[in-house]
Amino acid sequence: MRKTLSALVALAMLLGMVSLAAAEAADEVELNVMMSFPRYMEQWEAYAQQFQEKMLLEQNVKVTVNIEMPSSDQYDSLLQARLAGDDAPDLYTLHCNNLGLYNKAGHLTDLSAQPLADKLYPDIKTAVSIDGKVLAVPLESMAWGVLYNKDIFEACELAVPRTLTELRRACEVLTENEYTPFMLAFQEQWVPQLMTALTLGGLVSGEKGDWLDRMYTDEASYEEVREIFDVITLIMQNGTARAMEEGSQQGAADFAVGKAAMFVQGTWAASTIMEANPDMRLGVLALPVNDDIGCTRVNLSTSTVLAVYPETPEMEMALAFANYVLDDADSSALFESCGFNPLATCHDYPAAFWVEDASAYVAEGYAYRDLVLPSAVTDEQGKLLQELYVGTVTVDEIIETLDATFQNANKLN
Amino acid sequence: MKSKRRQNQILLLCVLPALSVYLVFKLFPAVSGIYYAMTDWNGINREFGFVGFSNFIEVFSDRNFWRSVAFTFRYVAVVTLVANAAALLLAVAIESRRRMKGLFRTIYYMPNMISMVIGGYMWMFIFTRVVYYLADDWGMKFLDVSWIGNPSYAFVAIVVVSMWGSVGYLMIIYMAALQGISPQLREAAQLDGAGSFAVFRRIVFPLIRHAITICVFWTLNSAFQVFDVIYVLTGGGPGRATQSVALNIYEEAFTGNVRFGYATTKSTVLFVIVLLVTLVQLRLMRRKEHEM
Repeated sequence: MRKTLSALVALAMLLGMVSLAAAEAADEVELNVMMSFPRYMEQWEAYAQQFQEKMLLEQNVKVTVNIEMPSSDQYDSLLQARLAGDDAPDLYTLHCNNLGLYNKAGHLTDLSAQPLADKLYPDIKTAVSIDGKVLAVPLESMAWGVLYNKDIFEACELAVPRTLTELRRACEVLTENEYTPFMLAFQEQWVPQLMTALTLGGLVSGEKGDWLDRMYTDEASYEEVREIFDVITLIMQNGTARAMEEGSQQGAADFAVGKAAMFVQGTWAASTIMEANPDMRLGVLALPVNDDIGCTRVNLSTSTVLAVYPETPEMEMALAFANYVLDDADSSALFESCGFNPLATCHDYPAAFWVEDASAYVAEGYAYRDLVLPSAVTDEQGKLLQELYVGTVTVDEIIETLDATFQNANKLN
Repeated sequence: MKSKRRQNQILLLCVLPALSVYLVFKLFPAVSGIYYAMTDWNGINREFGFVGFSNFIEVFSDRNFWRSVAFTFRYVAVVTLVANAAALLLAVAIESRRRMKGLFRTIYYMPNMISMVIGGYMWMFIFTRVVYYLADDWGMKFLDVSWIGNPSYAFVAIVVVSMWGSVGYLMIIYMAALQGISPQLREAAQLDGAGSFAVFRRIVFPLIRHAITICVFWTLNSAFQVFDVIYVLTGGGPGRATQSVALNIYEEAFTGNVRFGYATTKSTVLFVIVLLVTLVQLRLMRRKEHEM
């Protein structure tokens, strides 16, 4: 009898403990996040870990954040395949210029009512909004132009060129001093395309204000902006050899060790450059297009943004993660470690020293908002500039092809 | 009659798993692809419209597509010829050895065990770094050409890497065929005074014709679908100078105007081209086999 009683008490205690444990056990949530910048994998994994700990502590929810970082050149195709195959991640990054396309397809959640929306700087908020709705969390926002080596410029007693004539002269002086003026790394098609981005941006913000709008209505031509090829040709003629054999990463590393004085590349390459040469004195200058100083501008853009998939089964947690990206306490450290520019009121860290050069142009009013060209035109520009470099097309053929591509994109969209 | 039927049922049951996989993962996508080829789906939107044959009509005037078809035909012709000749040569050379056959067979087969993407990146390093090191520091000036940037040399680079990846596999098939030839036949021919070349031409070559059919079929098929090597090595560039049909289809579906429907149309056209070429090839080679 005694034994039976003891056994019953033990069983009751065991059941009690089990039910108590069950009551206290945290809910489990799995969040899939797909991002396009593998170079920041370490920073984002650490940030996801912080988020998991925060959720467990504050909401007693055991969150597992799976971060996928495919290589950037395959990212878009993988994302599209996932979306098309009903296997969408809960959150994903995309280029800010594609917000319209993804919004039209119904793949974006309205984040206007989220706390993050009130923290964004007004310009940035406009960039990630359509019809007044905030549709994504901005991650990368930057002012960029041409990177240059301040030590080489000082050694040649060169001032930063503000006109095409000054740029020509700078190339001559650099060559006389046995420096190669420009680093050319054209293996990937998006790199030569940066030259058209900067030159068109400068012209359209300066002299040719309505060119882009007229291109969208088939009333303009690349013939009107033919002068962009003057500076592009100058860069190609004064660049390092074997450009087609040079990838963007290798180009950044070679630029860091002084193989050229300038590099038409965004500030996103700064981390690779500073890693290759931590003592590098890196500067940013606006690329002159002609002798009108009003056309010499840096590009002010919001590129990568983070969106929440509207049909995610974990909407609450996905929104929590999106808000945590702009968390008052932790966001600054993340953005600073990635080298991103401050873009919200929660960011209180000093910008990198090379950003200050670009910011000076912005402060003086010599900046333009990133032009939104059809993706097909942007891709075509990269391809054609590769061909121009190897000499298989002429400028006339490029103009003809780009006009046709733009008109075709207008017809399809 | 009843047992024959039962036998067929058992056979069908045995092949059912493989058949199911084939139906679900190969046949169904292929057939549904024909439907998508007649839509304007962009791969992102949930809704799309039926456009009939307009995509097929557009393909006929698509200059970039036909340029990529021409490149692919050139690639197929060169790779089919050179890879099979090299594989046969290697197979004969290794089979004629008395010792270390296994070692050479392993060495030449090894690249086939590596993914072509990884192999492509290895060769990319060779073509963009190693060859210039040899040219600049070792005086091998003939290597100082633009292996990725010059369309002609880029074609050579692509063929070299493709051959590196496929010759070992073809070689194994040829070696198996060579081992199947009775030694007595060769000995008899040699006793009759035939030289090495005559033995190869009159005895060996006719007896391995079935292997040639298989290898040519395999090479044609894989060469028409070439993607990974070119994607890694040149990305189809400079511009579109080394763009194969598969790469052109990928570009249409995932970049630029993102036209999944139109890209599927191009895939359907590629399927028809490959089907026609393969039918002609099989008919020609089988006829030759029967003549033997």
